[in-house]
Amino acid sequence: MLSTVLEQVVNGIVTGSVYAIVAVGMTMIFGVLRAINFAHGEYYMLGTFGAWFAVDYLGLSYEASIVVGILATIVVAYVVGQLVMRRMVGAPAESGVLATLGIALILQNAVIFVFGGGYKFFSGGYIEPISILGFSLAQQRILILVVCLVVFVGLELMVTYSRLGMAMRAVSQNVECCEVVGIDVPQVVLRTFILGAALAALSGVLTAPVNVSVYGGMGELITFKTLPIIIMGGLGNVRGTFFAAMILGIAESLVATYVGLQFRDTVGFATLILVLMWRPYGLFSTQARF
Amino acid sequence: MSLTETVQQARRRDLRIPLAAVLVVIALAAPYIGSRYVTHSLIIALIFMLPAHGLNLLVGYTGLLSLAQAAFFGIGAYTAGLLAVTYGTPFYVNLIAAGVVSGAIALPLGIPALRLRSTSFVMCTLGFVIIGQAISKNWVSLTRGDMGLSGIPKPYFELGPLSFSVSGTTNFYYLALAIGALATFAAWAIVRSPAGRNMVAIRENETLAESLGVPTWHYKLIVFMLSAVFAGIGGCLYAYYLTVVSPLTFQMYYSTTMLIIVLGGGAGMISGTVFGSLLFVGLTEALRITPELRMIAYGFCLLVLVFWFKKGFAPLINRFWNVIGGVK
Repeated sequence: MLSTVLEQVVNGIVTGSVYAIVAVGMTMIFGVLRAINFAHGEYYMLGTFGAWFAVDYLGLSYEASIVVGILATIVVAYVVGQLVMRRMVGAPAESGVLATLGIALILQNAVIFVFGGGYKFFSGGYIEPISILGFSLAQQRILILVVCLVVFVGLELMVTYSRLGMAMRAVSQNVECCEVVGIDVPQVVLRTFILGAALAALSGVLTAPVNVSVYGGMGELITFKTLPIIIMGGLGNVRGTFFAAMILGIAESLVATYVGLQFRDTVGFATLILVLMWRPYGLFSTQARF
Repeated sequence: MSLTETVQQARRRDLRIPLAAVLVVIALAAPYIGSRYVTHSLIIALIFMLPAHGLNLLVGYTGLLSLAQAAFFGIGAYTAGLLAVTYGTPFYVNLIAAGVVSGAIALPLGIPALRLRSTSFVMCTLGFVIIGQAISKNWVSLTRGDMGLSGIPKPYFELGPLSFSVSGTTNFYYLALAIGALATFAAWAIVRSPAGRNMVAIRENETLAESLGVPTWHYKLIVFMLSAVFAGIGGCLYAYYLTVVSPLTFQMYYSTTMLIIVLGGGAGMISGTVFGSLLFVGLTEALRITPELRMIAYGFCLLVLVFWFKKGFAPLINRFWNVIGGVK
């Protein structure tokens, strides 16, 4: 009994790590743009499709496919960023919502149009189970955990010490002041956006061997899961996002086991609405920022 | 001839009434002009016009961007479907019930949601669609889950000794046209009333409206419910037209479609919504574009509407109307 619960918690933490890597990009983009990126899950999907294409069509190894998936997403994100995201600086919140919804429609359906709407099988990755402390866990899941920790430590360092990180923090505090002191705001927005999209793609490529199936609509589901996370974590709050993702991952995993698998995907939005009512500024921020 | 007097402008004739008459004739004769497929496209456009009118009241007049319209559309469709299949109640009862149930459900959803602002409100309304779909999928004893409700009978009317059932595309077109015209009139009446002006005041400056004594909170709640009523009635028609209701009625894609109708036609304009539904739903349906390409086109439409074509077709429609009316 206890070991089942523990096993579900561990599974939940792995799922949470996947969400965390996607959500942190979304929350950073919110930080600099004050706009929710409703298309964020599509970059997760693009990364997965890039990797699947590399493995299935080009016959590359899984390691190479990670690079292909992320690079393909970066190229798409660069184009979207130049054409759309830069224009969103200073635009009202509603236009951000509509524009990113439009991008989500375009990306998702362009992929379905090119590759077909059916489910594809992702072969690759390290799915051999190994056992640690009596649990058996696929290597891939351990890889996800490790990458998640590395990503978050790296982001924490980057946001604190690097030039781009400092610029990002500055833009998220006051756009006008940044313009006055000569920070190229659209450039910071563009870089943050590409970084966020690349992280989403990384998450997608890492999860593909665990999820096995690859399909065009997968991005939408991830967007709907990360929205609650970034709200719970407090918009723009990197550390809060990490903990919120873990909470949602574990909650989903427990609900799937003890309530019913079909309710798993509702947990996020039910939580989101509750959190919005109760603490609109998130669980981990002490005051309303936006 | 004094200097102040100017040469009389050559006034062109006011062609508005003849044009309106021609449009009415075209609307009535449409099933006999176009093919059956064109009629089908027009029906779909008319059905989507209903929730779009509701959304226009919300987005265009009160300034609240909502994605919940698909949720109320689905609730209306399920209400009508369940009543028709389980109890065999007549069409007009179900139509009213669909509107009433959607509006009633909008009240408890609206009270918490409307406390939120801008993006949070949008996300909350998006949540309603997702949760609605989950409920319709999982409450199998009521909704039959993924199998959906099938075998919804044809709309049936009984007026004293007269009774007839609406069968065939042409008849359904007239039904949809009648309901669409009524809904357009209702939306127009709401907008033209003092309440409509208060809604615009809330859109323009909520704090100022409140300070002038407009009960903004009640207005927002009532408009949210009204938009749900429109969506519910649209959902009922949709259920009767397709004769099937499935969890796919709760789709984000529908909310996006309705948004494109409203924003593309011109938010805050009744004729814009009518025009938008014909253009964005009717035309894409009539051209038989594959769903993927249509969604890609919708995506580009959204981008264009947000950044380059902010007012939609509204200014064009206004100008056309003025030119027709002989006003320079």
